[in-house]
Amino acid sequence: MRKILLIIILSAFGLTAFAQVRITPLNIKERTLDNGLKVISVQDKSNPVVTVQVWYKVGGKDDPQGKSGFAHMFEHMMFKSTKNMPNEKMDRITEDVGGFNNASTRDDLTNYYEVVPSNYLETLLWAESDRMVNLSVDAENFKSERDVVKEEYRQGVLANPYGMLFQYIDSLSYKVHPYKRGVIGNLDELNAAKLEDAFAFYKEYYCPDNASLIVVGDFEQEQLDKWIDKYFGRRKNPDAQIKRVDVVEPERTQVERFEKFRPNVPLPALAMTYFAPPSTSLDIPALEIAEAILADGQSSRLYQELVYKQQLAQTATMFADIRIDKGLLAFYAIAAGGKKLEDIEKAILAEINKLQENAPTEKEVEKAKNKLITEILQERETVNGKAFAIGEAIIYKNNAKAVNEDVAKLQSVKAQDVQNVMKKYFKENSRAVIYYKNETAGGKE
Amino acid sequence: MKKFNSAISCHSSNISFLLFLIICLTTPLFAQEPSETPPPPSAPPQVNVPEVREMTLPNGLKVVAVTRQNVPLVTVSLLIRRGAEQENQTEAGLANTTANLLLKGTEFRTATDIAQQIEFLGGSLNSSADWDSSTVNLNLISDKLGRALSIMSDSVIRPTFPAKELALLKKQTIDGLNVSLKQPGSLLSYVADRFAYGQHSSNGTPQTIVRINKNDVLDFYNKNYTPENAVLIFTGDISATQAFNFAKLFFSSWEKYKPNNSIKNLEFLGGLQSPPRKNSEIINRMLVIDLPDSGQAAVGYATKLKTGRIVCGEKSGNEINCSSSKIYYPASVLNSILGGGYSARLNQEIRLKRGLSYGARSNFDWRGFNSNFIASTQTKNESAAQVAELIKIEIQKLADDSIVEDELIPRKAVVTGGFGRGLQTNNGLAARLRDIYLYGLNPDELNSYMTNVNDVTDSQIKDFASDNLKGGDMIIVGDAKLFMDDLKKRFRNQKIEIIKADNLDLNKDTLRKR
Repeated sequence: MRKILLIIILSAFGLTAFAQVRITPLNIKERTLDNGLKVISVQDKSNPVVTVQVWYKVGGKDDPQGKSGFAHMFEHMMFKSTKNMPNEKMDRITEDVGGFNNASTRDDLTNYYEVVPSNYLETLLWAESDRMVNLSVDAENFKSERDVVKEEYRQGVLANPYGMLFQYIDSLSYKVHPYKRGVIGNLDELNAAKLEDAFAFYKEYYCPDNASLIVVGDFEQEQLDKWIDKYFGRRKNPDAQIKRVDVVEPERTQVERFEKFRPNVPLPALAMTYFAPPSTSLDIPALEIAEAILADGQSSRLYQELVYKQQLAQTATMFADIRIDKGLLAFYAIAAGGKKLEDIEKAILAEINKLQENAPTEKEVEKAKNKLITEILQERETVNGKAFAIGEAIIYKNNAKAVNEDVAKLQSVKAQDVQNVMKKYFKENSRAVIYYKNETAGGKE
Repeated sequence: MKKFNSAISCHSSNISFLLFLIICLTTPLFAQEPSETPPPPSAPPQVNVPEVREMTLPNGLKVVAVTRQNVPLVTVSLLIRRGAEQENQTEAGLANTTANLLLKGTEFRTATDIAQQIEFLGGSLNSSADWDSSTVNLNLISDKLGRALSIMSDSVIRPTFPAKELALLKKQTIDGLNVSLKQPGSLLSYVADRFAYGQHSSNGTPQTIVRINKNDVLDFYNKNYTPENAVLIFTGDISATQAFNFAKLFFSSWEKYKPNNSIKNLEFLGGLQSPPRKNSEIINRMLVIDLPDSGQAAVGYATKLKTGRIVCGEKSGNEINCSSSKIYYPASVLNSILGGGYSARLNQEIRLKRGLSYGARSNFDWRGFNSNFIASTQTKNESAAQVAELIKIEIQKLADDSIVEDELIPRKAVVTGGFGRGLQTNNGLAARLRDIYLYGLNPDELNSYMTNVNDVTDSQIKDFASDNLKGGDMIIVGDAKLFMDDLKKRFRNQKIEIIKADNLDLNKDTLRKR
């Protein structure tokens, strides 16, 4: 019995390096219509479904002044009536036939996506083309949908004990860049938005040369191209230039500290942020490896040190929130019962120092790569996941085909590169620290 | 880049509202195209359900494999057909603690070894307990499966449940519970478990978790984690032959633990007694949990069903033949109509028509012989009473009115479409197979699923609703001072119980500390 076990364990842990994982590249067909619409398609007949997605280069950072949360609220309006479709028609041609649709707004982008049985492909191409120019939401629907967005804010930010901390991460990390407003905005500024703002916003940002159409799934290429020419080729751009955010967030030169209080916060929490380089930076793959070493899984350094060994935190993690302009490298921890935020902050700083003083081990880097590459593969299981990978490559790297380079770029990162980016982006004086604590009726705890 | 031309530009801010409307609403700016209707769909495509292969090891472990090779990934899911239903209310959380602790140390590996070795392979290994099952789930790149299976089988067959790991896990669980209990939505579900379903939560309470000791865990493990209680499911980039060989190599040494520990006695899958109910009214009891300064109110209508996921015939030897209960498919379609998806009635009434919530949903938590139903949402505190009324009306409508084809057909498509999409990922496929094998169903049911859904009639749904969904409890968790007056006004003849959140005790039948 013992002997058999031993054999199993030895065979499982030979120290031979793994053959490098090969990911079949996505067979991307790319073209640009005369009106500037980028079209990316990938045929995949493994299931009889297809995804149609339109990614617009507009996001929370483009909210009109004094109307934080507008881009996201506008995304909700895109499900209301158009010249040719009544309210929620999009649901009739997706959900009602066994598919689904959704949309999301981030700081730098807004995307609309559907997954449908492939016989609905033409219907969906028509519909996305229709709502690119023919939106006709009325005042009543505008108000009702704004109420929905306010509930979304209450659910995510107010009812969740740690929701407001994530608002503070944006609002306190940035001084001048519109990223400081956060995508969801706030109740007062949502109330300030008017129907005419919606149409102004629509006319400015929703046009073919500010969009990418992505189709992945079960289709015939020639037929798809014809339909796209027919339905999207006729769309024209407005005769005005899109205003682009050109605000430059200054570097932080000294530590900034904040203390915030909210009701119903059962355990205190902290966030600590540094600025990340823009999404096109060559340092991004090394930062992703650093992120995985610090925070991915129970063998990660933050979990092992803060949660497992020192037991200071209930949760301790870090995420690289990479954006078109300077993004955030954010640490986030919820204290374990009875533990102090000051001690958690010290422990996180110690982990940063370790990676600055000594490069991670080869094995740790290998582990991070294996994790990240597995995640990339998992994303490729569905047509929706593939299209998302392409959409992100377009928005953040200006290149759809960058999806086929992700794995090679991660593979090429060396331990030394990780140490280098840790030194470059995690400078002691360049951080902002937020303590987040319970506020009781009687005062602050 | 666009050419700049200010002729008709609607984004300049000095245009008055009225003028703006005239320009932008009444005339399409760019495309002077006639009205259109959407192009109709072409002929529907075929959906293929993959082939299920199975075998049984000499120790009684059933092994199931479904091959699909589009992505080099594999999922291995070990289903233990025992869960929180095996624990007493005073030890709530024991099944989940046992499942979590499996991965925290074996005869050969520490908790850190397990995490490091699995993560080095790029994989993830998770474990958890549900009401009538426990699951250990492995996901990773297929060419690394052998290495990962040795860790997984070691964890399942030879766990040591180290005391210091138990102590840490208990602390983490209690901290996590304390966070959940401050969130109106999750607090509502804990209250519903106790109040509406007469059960305990499989996550436990801070007071039951603190009492769990190593002997409890060992005892639970020894009684329940045995190969004849388990099914090992492989999905993804692996052939059935490879899967069966791996199963033999890594799980043959798993011993039948106790001779008297035969297959789960399905008849005992009842849980605690249901609370008394009167079926003539929709709402039996109404309970408010007052959580001052809560950012929203959670509103839920919850009831326990008389029937569960399956019905079973006579037991012959260790085998019991079970099939889906008569209500399973009608209830699944009903859920799609009421609250399973964006365009379902609850979301239509609460979100789309009135803007009262970000989303309203309903759900059946299926269990062997009785199941739990909940329709719930979160709304601003001020509209909690209105939302409670809307939920009640929707339940009433299901019990009283028939459903027209125009609604029935698309809502069935939501169920079948979701089923088809679920089968497209290894994890989704494994989840469907766990449902089949947990309840002793024939895997052919995967093939007949869509037909079964499409065969449901409106009268089956109506009968199901009037037999099962009435007489439940309405529970509201939120800042009571902001909705109590309205609630009393809207539910004049309803007795309303109120418990302050800081006086709430989920361990007691009265739900109160004092």
